[in-house]
Amino acid sequence: MLDRVHIVGVGSPFGDDRLGWVAAETLQRSSAVNALEPGRIVISILDRPGAMLLAHCRDADHVIVMDAVRSGAVPGTRHRLSVSDLADSRLPATSHGFGVAAALELARVLGNLPDRLLLYGIEMDASCSGCALSDAVAGVMPVFVREIEKEALAFANSVQSSRSKVS
Amino acid sequence: MTEKRQIPIQVPVLARVEGEGTLELHVRDGAIEDLRLRIFEPPRMFEKLLEGRDYTEVADMVARICGICPVAYQMSAVQAIESLFGAEPGPWVRDMRRVFYCGEWIQSHSLHIHMLAAPDFLGYTSITEMAREHADEVRRGLRLQALGNEIIRLLGARSVHPVGARIGGFHHAPARAQVDALREKLQAALPEAEALVRWTAALNLPTEEQEFTAVSLRHPREYPMNEGRMVSNRGLDISADRFESRFVEHQEAHSTALHCLHDGKPYLVGPLARLNLNLDRLPAPVRNLADSVGIKFPSRNMYHSIVARAIEIVVAIREAIRLLEAYAEPSAPHVSVTPRAGTGYGCTEAPRGLLWHRYDIDAAGAVIKARIVPPTSQNQARIEEDLRTSLRSLGVRQGEAALRRRGEMVIRNYDPCISCATHFLDLRVHELTHA
Repeated sequence: MLDRVHIVGVGSPFGDDRLGWVAAETLQRSSAVNALEPGRIVISILDRPGAMLLAHCRDADHVIVMDAVRSGAVPGTRHRLSVSDLADSRLPATSHGFGVAAALELARVLGNLPDRLLLYGIEMDASCSGCALSDAVAGVMPVFVREIEKEALAFANSVQSSRSKVS
Repeated sequence: MTEKRQIPIQVPVLARVEGEGTLELHVRDGAIEDLRLRIFEPPRMFEKLLEGRDYTEVADMVARICGICPVAYQMSAVQAIESLFGAEPGPWVRDMRRVFYCGEWIQSHSLHIHMLAAPDFLGYTSITEMAREHADEVRRGLRLQALGNEIIRLLGARSVHPVGARIGGFHHAPARAQVDALREKLQAALPEAEALVRWTAALNLPTEEQEFTAVSLRHPREYPMNEGRMVSNRGLDISADRFESRFVEHQEAHSTALHCLHDGKPYLVGPLARLNLNLDRLPAPVRNLADSVGIKFPSRNMYHSIVARAIEIVVAIREAIRLLEAYAEPSAPHVSVTPRAGTGYGCTEAPRGLLWHRYDIDAAGAVIKARIVPPTSQNQARIEEDLRTSLRSLGVRQGEAALRRRGEMVIRNYDPCISCATHFLDLRVHELTHA
């Protein structure tokens, strides 16, 4: 049986905070993703799901979360964090109150965190407001999306392993 | 939720729901001289945004006011507008609106109990810290919250900012099979919710009692949610259209938030006020459960709010089961309405208390003026009153850390709609002494 992948774009409508949504919308239009059997790669756009983040991906074997990141790096810097990085207390803070990092840490404490979870982020420009992305983020968005698409397709074509699913 | 629409409206101030709550304490010679809680509320902006909009847009627009209680905003709005138009959506819509509201109570109360309030009472700084030693309880909370979201999705298509409600009813009626599957989950969750009541009642809650005026809706037969007259423990008994004669909002110089007073005084809305005033409207098994946990309701201990919330989760699960058992797919999920010029009033019970709406609408159905009084505005003066009492009782000579902890606990206990902001309470203590 082939694996199921769930990609989640987290954000809000404001400035670079919407970058997770933009990436998810772009992936929803991807011909490579749409060529797969329906349901193999599920893409969701969420508005600050808080602790319920992983409840949205309960049936997935692989989860990729996309969100704006604030770590002090130069705006436009791309981040790719694995499960082991999430246990690191130096994890960059994401932009939401009970944010993605907190939701994943709670899932880890509860034993609900899948081994195969990746957090993709782009360093946001906090001064960016309005409904458009900053130049720094917009500039790296194509390569950001391509990288995630490649990873998701590789996941989707892998044979289901014995590891536990998100519960 | 899965977002499929683009929302072109730009309201940057909304980002401030993740902003800061500030508590300013002025202490002179060891006594509180002044206390000010600053809260910035987003709903005011929406009143202006609604002007000029067609009545058909209102339900979707007001759902955007709050990510946690969008159903409440929709239900108060549709009630106000339908009462003006003389629309009668019928029993199917009435029942499903109550189910819709049950979903919101379940998810919002579960969120507040576990993520915001319980860590305070168990001595943790966050739900994550609490989960290390109370994993089963946290899992139970997340399951209940997810179940509430599922009910909202059933009728609203998505759980955050749902889009299923409209003037006249719903856009879509769920299939019987979907309803049956959800009802089975609700049935399975009922023992968990009952256990939650016992768990909250066993928490080591502060025992301080306070005098306060409680205000809620009251219905002739039901535990109040979507309908009823506004009543209090001091004899108030009015319909929603009389709200402005007894409740006045005013601007405090220290805050952009409005304070609403009842006959010039602070008052309480929310689960404890509802429960205190509607004990005789609890379904018998829930009343028995409430009577069995060792707390005497009506209660004057504000910290019993967490128990009241848990009791209301049981009420909501039972109500949803009862209403969905009789579910039948309707011939149409809504009735048509005809706009009429005038003023419509609506008042329903949001998870955190009374939510009052008023709309002035022209003959073509466009909103001329809107007024929305959310529960957080109504509770704000009561929160400040509680803070004065609680911090005085704690002793203002305590260190800032202790004052901040107690201040946060008091504020969070009211479940203000900007709950996330009060997690980052910025405490400023100004110490003054006589020269």
